[in-house]
Amino acid sequence: MKYDTIIIGGGMSGLVAGIRLRKAGQKVAIVSTGQSALHFNSGSIALLGHEHGHDIKKPLEAIERLKPEHPYSKLGIDNVRKYVGEVAPLFAEAGITLHGSAERNHYRLTPIGMFKPAWLSFEGYATVDDPKNIEWGKVLIVNLAGFIDFYPQFIELGLSKYGIECSSRTFILPGLETLRKSATEMRATNIARVLKDEVILEMASQINSYIKDTNADTVLLPAILGLYDENPIRLLKSKVVRPVHLVSTMPMSVGGMRAQMSLRKYFMKLGGTYLIGDKVTMGRFENDRLVSVNTQNLGDMPLEADSFILATGSFFSHGLEANPTSIYEPIFGLDVVASANRPEWCDMDIYKDQNYMEFGVVNDNDFHVYRDGKRISNFMAVGAVLSGCNSMKEESGGGVSLLTSIKVADDILNGKGGKK
Amino acid sequence: MDNKFGKKHYDVIVIGGGATGAGTARDCAMRGLKTLLVERFDFTAGATGRNHGLLHSGARYAVTDQESATECIKENMILRRIARHCVEDTGGLFVTLPEDDLDYQKNFVDACLKAGISAEVLDPKEALLIEPAVNKDIIGAVRVPDGAIDPFRLTVANVVSARRDGADVLTYHEVTGFERDQNRLVGVRLRDTRSGEESVEYADLMINAGGIWGHHIAELAGVKINMFPAKGALLIFGHRVNDVVINRCRKPADADILVPGDTISLIGTTSTRLPYDQIDNMEVTPEEVDILLREGIKIAPSLAYTRILRAYAGVRPLVASDNDPSGRTISRGIVCLDHATRDGLEGFITITGGKLMTYRLMAEWATDLACKKLGRTAKCQTAETPLPGSEMDKTFGTKEHKKSHIIELSTEQKAAEGRHGSLSEQIEYKTEDDEALVCECEQVSVGEIKYAIEHLHVGNLINLRRRTRMGMGTCQGELCACRAAGIMVNYNKCAERTLRDLSSFINERWKGMYPVSWGETLVEGQFMSWLYEGVCGIDQLARPEDLIDAK
Amino acid sequence: MNYQEQNISANNFEDCIKCTICTVYCPVTPFNPNYPGPKQAGPDGERYRLKKPYFYDEALKYCLNCKRCEVACPSNVKIGDIIQSARIKYTKSKPSLRDTMLANTDFVGTMSSAFAPIVNATLKLKPVKMVLDSVMKIDEHRQFPSYSSQKFTSWYKKEAASVQDSFPNHVSYFHGCYVQYNYPQLGKDLVAVMNAVGYGVHLLEKERCCGVAKISNRLVKEATRDANINLASIRKSVEQSRVVLGTSSTCTFTMRDEYPHLLHIDNADVRDDIMLATRFLFKLVDEGSVKLVFRKDFHKRIAYHTPCHMEKLGWSVYSTSLLKMIPGLDFVPLDSVCCGIAGTYGFKKENYKYSQEIGSALFQQILSERVDSVATDCETCKWQIEMSTGVPVENPISVIAQALDIEATKKANHVNI
Repeated sequence: MKYDTIIIGGGMSGLVAGIRLRKAGQKVAIVSTGQSALHFNSGSIALLGHEHGHDIKKPLEAIERLKPEHPYSKLGIDNVRKYVGEVAPLFAEAGITLHGSAERNHYRLTPIGMFKPAWLSFEGYATVDDPKNIEWGKVLIVNLAGFIDFYPQFIELGLSKYGIECSSRTFILPGLETLRKSATEMRATNIARVLKDEVILEMASQINSYIKDTNADTVLLPAILGLYDENPIRLLKSKVVRPVHLVSTMPMSVGGMRAQMSLRKYFMKLGGTYLIGDKVTMGRFENDRLVSVNTQNLGDMPLEADSFILATGSFFSHGLEANPTSIYEPIFGLDVVASANRPEWCDMDIYKDQNYMEFGVVNDNDFHVYRDGKRISNFMAVGAVLSGCNSMKEESGGGVSLLTSIKVADDILNGKGGKK
Repeated sequence: MDNKFGKKHYDVIVIGGGATGAGTARDCAMRGLKTLLVERFDFTAGATGRNHGLLHSGARYAVTDQESATECIKENMILRRIARHCVEDTGGLFVTLPEDDLDYQKNFVDACLKAGISAEVLDPKEALLIEPAVNKDIIGAVRVPDGAIDPFRLTVANVVSARRDGADVLTYHEVTGFERDQNRLVGVRLRDTRSGEESVEYADLMINAGGIWGHHIAELAGVKINMFPAKGALLIFGHRVNDVVINRCRKPADADILVPGDTISLIGTTSTRLPYDQIDNMEVTPEEVDILLREGIKIAPSLAYTRILRAYAGVRPLVASDNDPSGRTISRGIVCLDHATRDGLEGFITITGGKLMTYRLMAEWATDLACKKLGRTAKCQTAETPLPGSEMDKTFGTKEHKKSHIIELSTEQKAAEGRHGSLSEQIEYKTEDDEALVCECEQVSVGEIKYAIEHLHVGNLINLRRRTRMGMGTCQGELCACRAAGIMVNYNKCAERTLRDLSSFINERWKGMYPVSWGETLVEGQFMSWLYEGVCGIDQLARPEDLIDAK
Repeated sequence: MNYQEQNISANNFEDCIKCTICTVYCPVTPFNPNYPGPKQAGPDGERYRLKKPYFYDEALKYCLNCKRCEVACPSNVKIGDIIQSARIKYTKSKPSLRDTMLANTDFVGTMSSAFAPIVNATLKLKPVKMVLDSVMKIDEHRQFPSYSSQKFTSWYKKEAASVQDSFPNHVSYFHGCYVQYNYPQLGKDLVAVMNAVGYGVHLLEKERCCGVAKISNRLVKEATRDANINLASIRKSVEQSRVVLGTSSTCTFTMRDEYPHLLHIDNADVRDDIMLATRFLFKLVDEGSVKLVFRKDFHKRIAYHTPCHMEKLGWSVYSTSLLKMIPGLDFVPLDSVCCGIAGTYGFKKENYKYSQEIGSALFQQILSERVDSVATDCETCKWQIEMSTGVPVENPISVIAQALDIEATKKANHVNI
């Protein structure tokens, strides 16, 4: 089967690259081993949030200070500036509303009541421009009975540090009785699967009565609605008499899952081929080119293409793997930047710098990958599989994924991706 | 009776919340002594919680130490009766590998029989049928009555028993010194290790059951006991690789015991002497991990491709014989010292040496001596009286505690029954919410968490883990820790403390994961970082001083 | 050092990193609180079952075996296989008469075909349905597929067999119980399409039910016996260089993957030679070795539904690519979700309600798309969707057969038989 571009990895990077290529008329296939890390999203996407342990206010300025091997440095500040503006419109086409600007970070409220810098936040999530100046007035935190992945007390503590007065209420929602009976399935995304119109109206009237009781000015609610689209969030907001904001819960993330499904749907609507639950098993290289890949499901029918994109993610998504003696790229055996000495991979303190987070595939300034020291001219890597950044410490994972994907897609379209 | 300071006056204060201390507190309380048990951190925080969890038959010591072997088999039989809910009768094999000397087997069997341990020589093929995980190439096998024992449950059951008989218990209270009256100790000075607050408790007799830390406690009392810390490292595998304990039939050496314990299997141990000032810094080195795996794979080849959840190490207290202060002659047997006769210090005895298996006997010796010194005559009953949780009469298991909507017991209720024995009847499932699972890997429900918090001395998440297995499963706490913290905060009403506790709990879990951070364990570690640092931002709350418990 | 080198553990359930993604894609969990969900029923439960079989939970019977959890899993854990294997290994209860009857699709089919008019009439009667409902615990709302009075193989022997040898190329056809007893037309369509591109279609020497219903009703011994008979015939076919085609995604999936995973029968030598007809046909077209010529007067708006086992096979790309080749076909992709029937699952009284709830989102989408028909590769999906929406459902091969200009195609492929 012949395509213009084949993308290995169907998470945010792969889909964004795929959508961009497909929109330009390319024939594109995405192979995805399973669902992606986007399912654990915090409700926001970060561009660059931390520098030496401090919050960054103006990420674009900080990007210019990054080391040369950082993916942003390879992109160059001009490209970064160009591409940051293209993300929200692309997501909007897929039905995902994003709020925020790259000029100045805003803050998102975390599930335990902390504030973390963010670039773009999904519709409805609780964000502020500056935690020291929160304009929420009196806050009412509402939770569902039996939902143990949301913690009003911790959020209350977090807000109280900034002088916000909170009260909280827990209520039983009749539409959720079935789920509550299950010992394991009362989770955010499962709740969102069953929160439909009538239940949302019921919920709104409950919340309104609590607002009356507490004189609250703002309502915080766990992010448990809007799994398939943003309409349930809008419906609830329109029926509640005070502003409602969603706080991300422990996984799964409703916002992240909605983004994943919407991007995939949009890609398929554009005519892209998305092979889910399939795994690339090997590639056929000829000289400095990758010619085709084989997958588990397609067996003896290889996928051929002019260009290939590796968007397989980090260890979590098996873009990289480790055994006791080495770190490797498991599909093609691409060259990696990683220490060969196991004790250097991790620090005993989980909150310190973990070197393994910075490991990734070797790549040149246009993100071409290398195999046995040789540059592969039509094969580029994007997102978390790239070496050169510790996205955990920097709060840069989302931005790196998005911007490198857009850049590589554009290079392919401009003939820089090794088209014959 | 209150003393002149308006405080309760105890007959005995037992120092140390390991199996020996808890067992001694139980024995003392059962014999009618007014007892206080003090522990600087949590029960089982020391060597008790850091071993194989092996219910030794004694066979391992038969060749080298007949006395220990005899003690072991006797206690083995007693524990099967009194601690049924902590013991699993797996049986054990001593296998001879092609590289080992089969002649050793004969000595071994003779020594076992001499010590009263049943030792049945099996055809290797038969051994493979009994335990398919064993290396197919073994050239010899002997069956012995080994088993598995859960030291966490065992210790807590002793504490619950002591409390029933009127003992008081103080966890997170470190002994910082002693109150004296001339050549007699009359009380202990305590410091609350969480708040720093200091206090004094008085008693006629102090029993030092501090294990390796007893060395330091003796120093505080002004007497010297020569103890030598020996570090032993172990690896925990993700599931039960074997159902029968597998030992290597050779002179005891590194990594020659594989024990099935609850849902996992454990290989250990290594043995290295370490300086006394390092006993609170147990780190497992890459070399130790490599040795454990290399040797472990020889007895059970499937370990080569089984996921490793974590690595940990404990310290054995080796006590030098009194007549050899150089420390060259080490006793692994029980050492019970009356410091009045040994050092001329009244009101102080030390119980040490021994092993988890002989904790009850150690307690008995210590309590016998205490009674003698206090002029009491009550007899020891701990060998006959079942521990709380093991009081299973005919009615056990017949009481209905079904879920509202499922006919049979749910997996979590079965699991809780396994963990708490007959005490599991105290777990309440008042609403559907109590049936919700907090820890999905180890099947711990909201109800069980609440029970543990209310009844089992739980002040933080690590305590909760030791009482319930929450966070001990495949994911090492990444999903359940936050949920458990959400329940804890309803009790302690302090969100700040609970969050800091959560941050240190996650770090404590990681500490065991990072020495084996490859394969899925590294993936799990990355997932953990994403959730707690990335999504939640809990790193902002991490404080070094919160790690006291996680050492 | 050579330990722990393989990242893929032999204990596949340990690859689970507890991310819980599978639970969100399980069709059952939102509707049936008694089902513990794929993570609990699968890898989590497996650790406990390894500790003691006592921990087996009978609620695992609510698993549809749709494998959507496996497709969603980022760590490649065979969650569905773990659950089904546990059911086979640990459950103590014996399959009921009802389960045995539902599982023996070929035996019941043989009996029913012989008396098709009576059976079809009887199964529609209210009193009969009530009896089935109360005695057999087969839900009274369920419509039974009707039985054909002429079996597919009878037609084949009479009408098709004689000319098949004269084609230049050859394949074997695993028709399955549904084509044999309920809907021979699909088999006829396959013969027509394959003949048109120059392939003779042959029956296997012996064919038994693929065993999917027996496996899910835990009749493992019977399923194993049937599987071995099928594999022996498949091997003979492969020896003659005849690939074995199926028109049912479930039969094909079962023979390729459930045989080794659940019945522990090694089929590695022939697994790649068992495939769906749409994959085979697509490959021929893609390679350029055959051409399809479609009729100009074919106009239909058709939605494609991805059956669960098709999703697991990862092969819907073949069926949909073929459908998209038809010029007069207005193609509507449906969200890939379970229709709720899951073979015999939805027939059982205790599951009927959940079955319909699971499918409701799909039914609504189909109705709102206002299509002429739905195309899908699975016969039980067909029953469920037809019963629940009233929209006709066809196999992609049947759609191709209708749209194909047979004579022009023959000509294009130089077939003159």
